[in-house]
Amino acid sequence: MSTPTTLPKEFQDQQESIRIMGFWVFLATDVALFGCLFSVYAVFRSRVALGPTPHQIFSLGPVLLETLILLTSSFTISLSLFAARRDRLKPALYCLILTLLLGASFVTLEIREFSHDVMAGHTWHQSAFLSAFFTLVGTHGSHVTFGVVWAIMLSMQLALRGLTVINRRKLYTFALYWHFLDIVWIFLFSIVYLTGIA
Amino acid sequence: MQMERDISHVPTGRGDEVEIHGLAPHLHMTRFPTQQIIGYLVSLLLTLFAFALVAYHWLPLNLLVIVVVCLAFVQGAIQLGIYMHLREGRGTLWHLPVLGLAGFVGLGIVGFSIWIMLFKSGVS
Amino acid sequence: MKAWAIHLMKLLFPPRVLLPDIIGIDIGLTIAALALLVYLTKTHRWGWLWREWLTTVDHKRIGIMYLIAALIMLFRGGVDALMIRTQLIGPHEHFMGIQQYDEVFTTHGTVMIFFMAMPLVIALFNVAVPLMIGARDVAFPRLNAISFWLFAVGAILLNVSFSIGGSPDAGWTSYAPYSELAFDPGVGENYFLLSLQVAGIGTIATAVNFLVTVLRLRAPGMSLSKMPVFAWSALITSSLILFAFPPLTVAMGLTMLDRLFHASFFTVSHQGMPMMYVNLFWIFGHPEVYILIMPAFGIFSEVVPTFSRKALFGYDAMVVSLLAISFLSYGVWVHHFFEMGAGPTVNVFFGLSTMLIAIPTGVKMFNWIFTMWGGRIRLTVPMLWQLSFIPTFVVGGATGVMLAVVPGDYQYHNTYFLIAHFHNVIVGGTVFGLLSGMYYWWSKMFGWQLNQRQGTWAFAFFFAGFWLTFMPQYFLGFMGMVRRMGTYPAGLGWTAFNFWSTIGSYLMAIGFLIMVYNIVWSRMHPNWDTTGDPWDGRTLEWSLPSPAPIYNFARIPVVHERDAWWEMKLQDRTDEVKISVDSVEPIHLPKNSPMPIILGLAFLVGSIGMVFSWFWLAILGALGIVADLAYGSFADQTEITLDPHYIIETESALGRLQS
Repeated sequence: MSTPTTLPKEFQDQQESIRIMGFWVFLATDVALFGCLFSVYAVFRSRVALGPTPHQIFSLGPVLLETLILLTSSFTISLSLFAARRDRLKPALYCLILTLLLGASFVTLEIREFSHDVMAGHTWHQSAFLSAFFTLVGTHGSHVTFGVVWAIMLSMQLALRGLTVINRRKLYTFALYWHFLDIVWIFLFSIVYLTGIA
Repeated sequence: MQMERDISHVPTGRGDEVEIHGLAPHLHMTRFPTQQIIGYLVSLLLTLFAFALVAYHWLPLNLLVIVVVCLAFVQGAIQLGIYMHLREGRGTLWHLPVLGLAGFVGLGIVGFSIWIMLFKSGVS
Repeated sequence: MKAWAIHLMKLLFPPRVLLPDIIGIDIGLTIAALALLVYLTKTHRWGWLWREWLTTVDHKRIGIMYLIAALIMLFRGGVDALMIRTQLIGPHEHFMGIQQYDEVFTTHGTVMIFFMAMPLVIALFNVAVPLMIGARDVAFPRLNAISFWLFAVGAILLNVSFSIGGSPDAGWTSYAPYSELAFDPGVGENYFLLSLQVAGIGTIATAVNFLVTVLRLRAPGMSLSKMPVFAWSALITSSLILFAFPPLTVAMGLTMLDRLFHASFFTVSHQGMPMMYVNLFWIFGHPEVYILIMPAFGIFSEVVPTFSRKALFGYDAMVVSLLAISFLSYGVWVHHFFEMGAGPTVNVFFGLSTMLIAIPTGVKMFNWIFTMWGGRIRLTVPMLWQLSFIPTFVVGGATGVMLAVVPGDYQYHNTYFLIAHFHNVIVGGTVFGLLSGMYYWWSKMFGWQLNQRQGTWAFAFFFAGFWLTFMPQYFLGFMGMVRRMGTYPAGLGWTAFNFWSTIGSYLMAIGFLIMVYNIVWSRMHPNWDTTGDPWDGRTLEWSLPSPAPIYNFARIPVVHERDAWWEMKLQDRTDEVKISVDSVEPIHLPKNSPMPIILGLAFLVGSIGMVFSWFWLAILGALGIVADLAYGSFADQTEITLDPHYIIETESALGRLQS
């Protein structure tokens, strides 16, 4: 069996390339999941009952900050992969850790924002709109949280075992996951927040 | 869709054989992450532009929504193309049709649900 | 302390689970479980059970476990069906209370769809697909085991509900607001929601697995256009599951948030919208019925050519029609709720798209008939199921088109006409197909064949009972009997139809019992399948011994034609599947792992925590899940290597060495 050298490193092992494809397929199911949540949000957007309207509850400042953090983390994880491809373990690892720190700060900001709303009495019990909003944004947030846990384990494995064939694939799939969450957030930012406040 | 291939070597049972031809040539190894940096800058610019559109009310509401959603799609495409190495793979790029289907279904669910559940097609 | 214990007992055993029959079943099950434990301990089978089955990642064994689970669930769902029919045998019958009747029809539907039909489909995928396409396993063997254990946890959750805490009772569709806390207090509905979510995760994983398996692990030379149609159906079914199950997860998840965490998705007073649940549920629900029928289509496309000794007529049309049906099935879901009144444009659109599905389905019917045309037909049990499928499914399909006519649907929506229709297609299509496939591949799974004569009797009773059960229900529907009716008055002209329908269901039960007898008898008097090719088959799985060795193919076959094994036999190239002693290479196989079953246990613990709102337990379960995933991620050495000696020994014992 020849190992073609024109392939990206993550794809040179057949088994690992199949796993990457499996991960793409998983992301496809996640598209459907978020599609459903977006559809719920779209239908419930104007159903505010006695609760606040989108316009009243959203403040763009913190959200813009969250967006910038997530965009930056997407950039750093791509640098991590770039470094891994050039067989430089340390920059790859540091970029990964930077990514997970950015992710954690994103989650922290989001929790702050949510608890601020809840403190003001705007729980999701109040209206269908708030239920849909918290669920859609919260699902993304829990994805990011899961990603942070994943990144912690991945950076441990990178530190312990180095850039093995398996770790390369794991870094690649993690990067896919992270960029995917970034895309979802871009849509959240645009459709939920920007058009909500406009 | 699939072409005849050279099957002279010993099969391994891991499916190498089905797709060993047409291994993806889309690998860019550069010394400096130029692409990533450009992608980052463009996505920052697009985000700030969309933000400014809303913050300074540059457009009427209907048009604004359309433009903002379009900008989101552009950004998504940038992430997919530059960061997610969409065209990398081994053999046939099977994830592309799967993702295409996912986009189709995702948009379908949103579009149809709005169409059905907002009762805009008249009273029956 | 004492008050706490009393509260707990009241929560676990409310009055609705203290009916004498339920207590009787509890005692019986406890005794059976104890007997099983004693038996396993006395015969020292625990180690064997753990090593060979509970931790296995072998697709053939996982397939068998799915099959056994599905047959047990068929029994459970069948008993529920008999209880329903007994209640309806005559007017004013009170075999059960109305609450219990609600619970029984809910369980019947849920069990039959999610825990009988789905696992039977997945069982046959596991058993046949990797062998058909010349692969050594599925793409992700450990994920496959995870899928199984998540399915098992889902099944356990749903099945313990009736004895601990109470059954769900809002129908298998569990429409909001019936399923909302205000109208359905207690834990029954929580069981339903958790059960389907956990099993759903497993099913999505299965879909990912088989999609990648079929696309990436085919034998050399087997291009998509040379693939057996059953493999095509696995590919298409997987792609349907991929996008159909997330909406189910969301629908269940939102209801769960409403029930457990006081969200307001479906609470009208907070401007929630119960119909949004219905919308999401059927975005899942309609592709789901095609998820169930596609594999049956695939099975028939294997069975008909084999027992007609002819190549499948119109292979391309068969594949294209499968694709067309699956594509259309995404765009028809509103026909389940035309009555919501989304508007004429919406209803007409979805009515038309529904009718369109009849066209590719009709193409398939004709192709099967043309395959048989002029062939040398052998009336084996799999073929009998196939032959009976054709008229049955045509009736079911035609009544489906009737239901798609919007004004008509306003008349017979949710009547027994609908009940008859979907049983007609799900039993007459899916169940007939899966039983056909079970008889067809049985020897490949176990190495011995099922007795044909007994199988024919089982078929005859089931088939006759089926028609007798469901044909009267069409008339009942026209006469205005609505679904889920717990009892009915005399004098409406329904009595005779209901009586015969109930008799028919008893006949089906006799058919099922004969089938069980058939399996047990055939196990006691095994008719060993020594050739591995008892039906004179056409596809690659028949080139292997029955059951296949753990590595499936000692030598991966090279495919040149469709029906690869048939071509090999015709051209006298059957030696191509045998190995020669000097060319054997070591084979790498995935190693057994305890991680999947532990993951299942963690999900079980967490789900029970959610069901009873014991969130500390739910958090414990979640931590268990994360810890187990971490354990799985850090475990290295996930493969074993079979050395050539072992392979040569195994193959020579099977008489598969080249001379």
